[in-house]
Amino acid sequence: MLLDEPGDAAQNMAVDGALLELATKPTLRIYGWQPHAVSLGYFQSIADFQDLPADTVMVRRSTGGGAIHHGDELTFSLALDAFRLPGDISQSYVVLHDAIIRALAHVGVRCRRASGGAQPAARPSHRWCFRTPVDGDLVTDRGKLLGSAQRRTNAGDGNRHARILHHGSLVLQRPNQTPFVAAVADQVPLTGELRRELHSALATELARVLGLIARPGERSRAENAMATKLRSEQFGTTAYLHRR
Amino acid sequence: MRPDDLKFQKSHEWCRVEGETATIGISDYAVSHLNDLVFLDLPAVGATVTIGESFGEIESVKAVSSLYSPVTGEVIESNEELGDNLEWLSEEPFGKAWMVKVKISAAGPDLMDVAAYDSHCKAEG
Repeated sequence: MLLDEPGDAAQNMAVDGALLELATKPTLRIYGWQPHAVSLGYFQSIADFQDLPADTVMVRRSTGGGAIHHGDELTFSLALDAFRLPGDISQSYVVLHDAIIRALAHVGVRCRRASGGAQPAARPSHRWCFRTPVDGDLVTDRGKLLGSAQRRTNAGDGNRHARILHHGSLVLQRPNQTPFVAAVADQVPLTGELRRELHSALATELARVLGLIARPGERSRAENAMATKLRSEQFGTTAYLHRR
Repeated sequence: MRPDDLKFQKSHEWCRVEGETATIGISDYAVSHLNDLVFLDLPAVGATVTIGESFGEIESVKAVSSLYSPVTGEVIESNEELGDNLEWLSEEPFGKAWMVKVKISAAGPDLMDVAAYDSHCKAEG
């Protein structure tokens, strides 16, 4: 488990990319965004976001889905070998989302997996991830509370094998830019203690469904070097942001 | 039944070799585990693909999955209709849902025949 200080958008995505490639143990990374930023889903078109203020910090994720405004939220990434989660992608979301429901319940926040909602469409029905919940998304009566997305690849140094990067964005306070989202602050006061309890509960519950025990860790030198490379050559470049 | 003239990779791409040309797609097993498909990105004609490297990407249920080439060579055809007809992947994964045709310069080792691939899928569950 890695608990990082809030970082800038390109750095956040570069670190997750490095963990997907190189982490030798299942790795949960909890982080935030400073400055706040908008992340696009991998296949989204930058042309659909020309109306955002000119000073909006933007980055393209390697994971799918729609765009997210990352304000005061608990963001996490999970990088692990694919065999640790169901091969069926929808089932993998069920496993992880149920763990997150239990973690949120630990701090007094109630939510549920949506059912009977909109199905994935041939193209995202709305550019914002949180705008139209689909089956399996975590929601409250107020709206969608958690954004989730994945990248599945064959990665690793030397003997390449199937890997998963799972992204989760749990809204703590509702951003002005996306007023339709639910937030943890709708249900409980956002104290420092609550934030720490939420980190701990999230790590405990995600580890539990993976059959693991969460322990604090640090990034390796190789992971840091790859993050630096991915930042300068991919996630921090205009070419990558504008590739679609 | 999977056609017995195909070879398979562990990452669930199939390959049909006819002369110097390899036709490449993804298996019924892969399609069933991806669930609802929403977007496909394939290389253009003239692009080079490399054994073991990603030649395209597919999005399903907010997940982007890379597609891996079983051969090295030049793309001579890309199934441009498939992106707008992703249901073909469920209907005919080994037929009209082919993805690219490649003029082979090097073929990959360790491709599985259909019997070995069937066992591989059962082992993955």
